[in-house]
Amino acid sequence: MDAFALELRGIVKTYAGGVRALDGVDVTIARGEIHALCGENGAGKTTLAAIAAGRLRPTSGSVTRAGNAGFVPQHPHLVDRLRVWENVLLGREPRRGLRLDERAAREDVAALGATYGLPVDPRARVETLDAGAKQRVEILRELAREPALLILDEPTSALAPAESDVLFDVLRALAARGTAVLVVTHDLGDVAAYAERITVLRAGRVAARFERGAQPAAIAGAMIGGELPALAARTSRATAPCFEARGLEAGSGAAALRGFDLEVRGGEIVGIAGVEGNGQRPLADAIAGVAPYRGTLHLDGRELAPGRPAARIAAGLRTIAADRQREGLILDWSVLENLALGDQRRAPLGGGLTLHRGAMRDRSASVVERFDVRAPSLDARVSMLSGGNQQKLLAGRALAETPRLLLACEPTRGIDVAAAALLRSRLIEARNAGVAVLAISLELDELFEIADRIVVLFRGAGAGEFERGAFDRARIGAAMAGVRGR
Amino acid sequence: MTRSAWAALAVLALVGAGATLLAGANPLAAFAALLRGALGGPQQIAETLVQTASLLFPALAVAFALRAGLFNIGADGQAVVGGLAAGLIGAAWPGAGALSAALAGGTLAGAVWGALAGALRARFGGSEVIATLMLNILAGLLATYLLSGPLRAPGADGPETATLPASAWLPLLAQDTRLSFALPLAVLLALALQFVLARTVYGFELRAAGKAPEVARRAGIDLGAVAFSALSFSGAIAGLGGATIVTGVLHRFNPALSPGYGFIGIAVALVGGLEPLRIIVAAFGFAILQSGSLTMQAFAHVPRDVIALLEGLAIVALAARRAFVARAPVPP
Repeated sequence: MDAFALELRGIVKTYAGGVRALDGVDVTIARGEIHALCGENGAGKTTLAAIAAGRLRPTSGSVTRAGNAGFVPQHPHLVDRLRVWENVLLGREPRRGLRLDERAAREDVAALGATYGLPVDPRARVETLDAGAKQRVEILRELAREPALLILDEPTSALAPAESDVLFDVLRALAARGTAVLVVTHDLGDVAAYAERITVLRAGRVAARFERGAQPAAIAGAMIGGELPALAARTSRATAPCFEARGLEAGSGAAALRGFDLEVRGGEIVGIAGVEGNGQRPLADAIAGVAPYRGTLHLDGRELAPGRPAARIAAGLRTIAADRQREGLILDWSVLENLALGDQRRAPLGGGLTLHRGAMRDRSASVVERFDVRAPSLDARVSMLSGGNQQKLLAGRALAETPRLLLACEPTRGIDVAAAALLRSRLIEARNAGVAVLAISLELDELFEIADRIVVLFRGAGAGEFERGAFDRARIGAAMAGVRGR
Repeated sequence: MTRSAWAALAVLALVGAGATLLAGANPLAAFAALLRGALGGPQQIAETLVQTASLLFPALAVAFALRAGLFNIGADGQAVVGGLAAGLIGAAWPGAGALSAALAGGTLAGAVWGALAGALRARFGGSEVIATLMLNILAGLLATYLLSGPLRAPGADGPETATLPASAWLPLLAQDTRLSFALPLAVLLALALQFVLARTVYGFELRAAGKAPEVARRAGIDLGAVAFSALSFSGAIAGLGGATIVTGVLHRFNPALSPGYGFIGIAVALVGGLEPLRIIVAAFGFAILQSGSLTMQAFAHVPRDVIALLEGLAIVALAARRAFVARAPVPP
């Protein structure tokens, strides 16, 4: 039997607050093997990857590694203001006497890139690079430490399909040199392309193991486990004009929005599909009124003035922010106070000089029940809640009353399958109640489940529109990659 | 108190004892002298309470701004312009209402001084730390200029106003002491601030802006308006404090009316956890150190600087506690 690059035995991880992310997981990876770790959001993949990389200590269980482990996180962890070579060699810069040998450093990085087929310009500033180039820099930084095991967390989530193919070639070349590769992903299309062995996690346990050649449907079945609650039924109803964006330009660089038109009617869910970084964030920020833009936005026939989040809230916009911890919730605050945020100036919570504690409690109790938020009490700090419960809280606040327009950015990011299903059902129910719902999601499968219409964003512009009933994975995928239909 | 708070106190006591030993004195004797100087009799207690009031106003000013995420290190400057306005108005006010006018004028002047920094922050995103620090210097220079030049009091030796008429004095709480109604006024203010922060819509928005500006902005809270109003109110509180020193203690304005109260106030605010009611207790504790330190120096021959050392260490101990608490693991 091959020597193992990584051996995990009986891994258990319990977070503060009692959330058990992993519950007895065994995984072994041989030298030169490409291993895929699959699972739905919240299955424990990222926790297991962090443990494998030595970045997180398991509550119990043993971790044996043959050497260093390199870790490439899902979102780049680079120093934007520094150059590529500085990032790659940070902490291990070649010296000449007391001085930094900059020339040798640049040559080292260029040579490293050539060796592994990862072309980079050592002198480029990281902030000027696109997502794929940043990822290459990150991989090089890890490879410079000559790891026995390279771990990549959702490496294709920010890449166009052609870039993903290049990445797989690099990984295969690495494996051929004897490096073990662990790829964490929920994208089954990728898995079939490169992985020799596949471990599927579900709810913190190994649900199934597969070898190369397994049917994607079998893997998907193992991921979901067939225990998913049914989504809320979609009642057909007459729709009415509600929200309209015309000629929207926002953001800068590769992710800028370049003249985007959009209409969302009351009683429909419009899904925005696209590879990350194709204008989703500028679109969301423009609608929320937190970033400058050009073009016009109308809600119920009235123009929304730029830079006025409060006016938008008053006009009936509610938002599920993409980053719940940075943009949505105040972690130090209680459930009660978080649920009042945004409505503090309106009856029944506010309106006068003081906040009405009774109304705040009533609302919180109702949201916590409807959205199944598991909190020790309404006065518990939000930082004590698991990510899934935080997300349910965030969505529950947006739907505490019936908004006119719901802007749902990554509404189920990083939460467990059951919680995601609950939130999707709530979105459909809001739609049934006449709310105009705009769902921006990187997960195409999510949009297939909830959307009445899917609009594809590619390089900041609309690249195709698909009605429910005519959702076609191949055609939408092609539009997301910028391939125009015939 | 939590275990870490006791640990912090123990460290402070040990360092204080060590510094006293280094200064060649007996720590127990020094501590006894400190307590005797601060609480040894009615006069001493009254003086300590005077100090409590003088520290409470700037501490509340600092805490209020800090709850909005703003660092007002200009409470001294705001106290100076507040005291100046109170002195000028109190000395010139004809007839009844001189005291009210002096206090109101002082509050308003402090508010304007705070609002200058607030406007810079709200309009241009300028750092309130730099602005309030610079405005400290401007306040002193403005007072010196006005009282040496255009508003010079007849017969004055230095940059001082004339002695205020008795109608502009804060009434005394206890005869034959300097303890005036400044103390109950400060305590009432603390209660009011507690209510504003905990119960009002304004306080809610201010705390949200201070804790998580990005979240607050997306919840429709105008961060610029919060910065402007919070620094204005903060300046008003410090200005009122300066006015109470002029009308309650000195009975005239003198640019040295706030010997670093604004900076000690930062320590008081932090030790009080930015909670107005706890800050009352913290201000009393710091006042004991302040008013007892002279006796300690005179009778136990321990330099007053040991007290400054302890006050500084209190901040360090507090910061260390925060850092340890922040280490608690959370799920990703």
